[in-house]
Amino acid sequence: MTRSMAIFLLVILTFGGAARAEPTEAERMARWSDLRHAIFGDRVVENAGDLVAIDAPARAEDAAIVPVAIRVAETLAPEIRGFYLIIDDNPSPLAAHFMLGPIADAREIATRVRIDDYTYLRAVAETADGPLYMAARFIKAAGGCSAPASKDQALALERLGKMKLSFGDRGRPNEPLKVKLLISHPNSSGLQMDQVTRHYTPADFMQTLEVTYNGQAVFRLESDIAISEDPSFNFRVRPSDPTGPGVINAEVLDSSQRHFSQSWPVPAAAQM
Amino acid sequence: MKRPLRRNDAIANIGFILGDDAVAVIDPGGSAREGRQLRAAIRALTDRPIRYVVLTHVHPDHIFGAAVFGDDHPDFVGHVKLPGALAQRGDYYLRRLREALGNEAGGSEVVAPTILVSTRLDLDLGGRRLTLRAHGPAHTDNDLTIFDEKTHTFWLADLLFVDRIPVIDGSLVGWLKELREVTAIPADRAVPGHGPVSVQWPGAAEPERRYLEAVARDTRAAIKAGVGIADAWRHVANSERGRWLLFDDYHPRNVTAAYKELEWE
Repeated sequence: MTRSMAIFLLVILTFGGAARAEPTEAERMARWSDLRHAIFGDRVVENAGDLVAIDAPARAEDAAIVPVAIRVAETLAPEIRGFYLIIDDNPSPLAAHFMLGPIADAREIATRVRIDDYTYLRAVAETADGPLYMAARFIKAAGGCSAPASKDQALALERLGKMKLSFGDRGRPNEPLKVKLLISHPNSSGLQMDQVTRHYTPADFMQTLEVTYNGQAVFRLESDIAISEDPSFNFRVRPSDPTGPGVINAEVLDSSQRHFSQSWPVPAAAQM
Repeated sequence: MKRPLRRNDAIANIGFILGDDAVAVIDPGGSAREGRQLRAAIRALTDRPIRYVVLTHVHPDHIFGAAVFGDDHPDFVGHVKLPGALAQRGDYYLRRLREALGNEAGGSEVVAPTILVSTRLDLDLGGRRLTLRAHGPAHTDNDLTIFDEKTHTFWLADLLFVDRIPVIDGSLVGWLKELREVTAIPADRAVPGHGPVSVQWPGAAEPERRYLEAVARDTRAAIKAGVGIADAWRHVANSERGRWLLFDDYHPRNVTAAYKELEWE
């Protein structure tokens, strides 16, 4: 056994990939220019400044599970109709498109993504009739898309499609309801080849997620392989009846045309 | 914490067991080069046939030397879930091995097991019986251990880490459960997957149990307190820092894995 082997093991278990030739900043900008054109056409994408922020660790502990949060300034939040999450150097760069419903609170939305190489990560917020605002940050992570994720394959099969939801206190009527949703799904990328059969494990990922509260849309998500195994979402809801009881429903459609649905009651806020 | 790695560049314990009729290799090593060194060590000692090559789990530092033993026509023995894990991970591991080792990786291949163990299997080497156990998800979801009845040696492979921080790549809760079961099995000595080649049993498992329990306890507390997955490691098992080699390299990733498992409880 060699020292290089020892370092190799450390590298694949922590960052997922060996160092490779890095694109120049100019090449990165050219890539973004292409992507921007492909996704937004001729629409103007403005720098968000302090209005929109994208949070993610500068260096990921596990490139297959990188937490990302998009935050919007309170003044702008009511104008936001959706978010695009873009990972420039991923095989499929448009990781997620959130379309917000009327009762979503756009101040914060978070998920976990796979990152394949050192890359810019971008959140583009879309306003009702106005401009697109972009926040970007650079992140050091590699190998997340082709990296094996499932640690316990039997459990992954058994739990497929199950969801778990939790929410914060409903103490103050003026505060949004903070919700965390977990969906058990391999969300596999189709990028793992079986060395014995020489076949690729088929991609099997969540295509859409729709969340409602008392039948009203909170958000609809269109996503693909860049969302981590067992997709996780944190979001905020402003129910039209801020203190009354409610029902949260989540519907998932995956690329194998499976449909999963689950509902959770939300008790009325305690009397103040 | 990297200095010990430089002093001793072998990272996994690999070896073989010799019976009156045949030899069993326990993990062929992390590359063809290491596999050849192991084979030469066996052939310096005996001409008896190499009848079995046991692959204790999917990790590359243990199994990429397997192809070197192809001409011996052994049975390759693995956990019933090893083929699934190899299908998911083998190609990825091999590409990374080639990137990291270059020419040194030559001949290193993914070898499929020919005998699968779902619960227990005895291998007879002639006057020496080995009992193989297939474990539930723990270090990985495809861990095998080997008990040599002649010497009462318990070869735990990566179910047991000594000195070097355990790596959680299967199930934290499952590992603690398996650890309770294996530590109830008496043995005169144990062979860990990483650490000294022979340790006292079951005492040598105590630090690992302590670390894993600290990770489980503190990660549950972090989830309950609403700490996010990226920051949780800062709040978890800090009492263990300084007690393990490579702590800062693997601990945050262990906590990420633990968090992802325990948030479903």
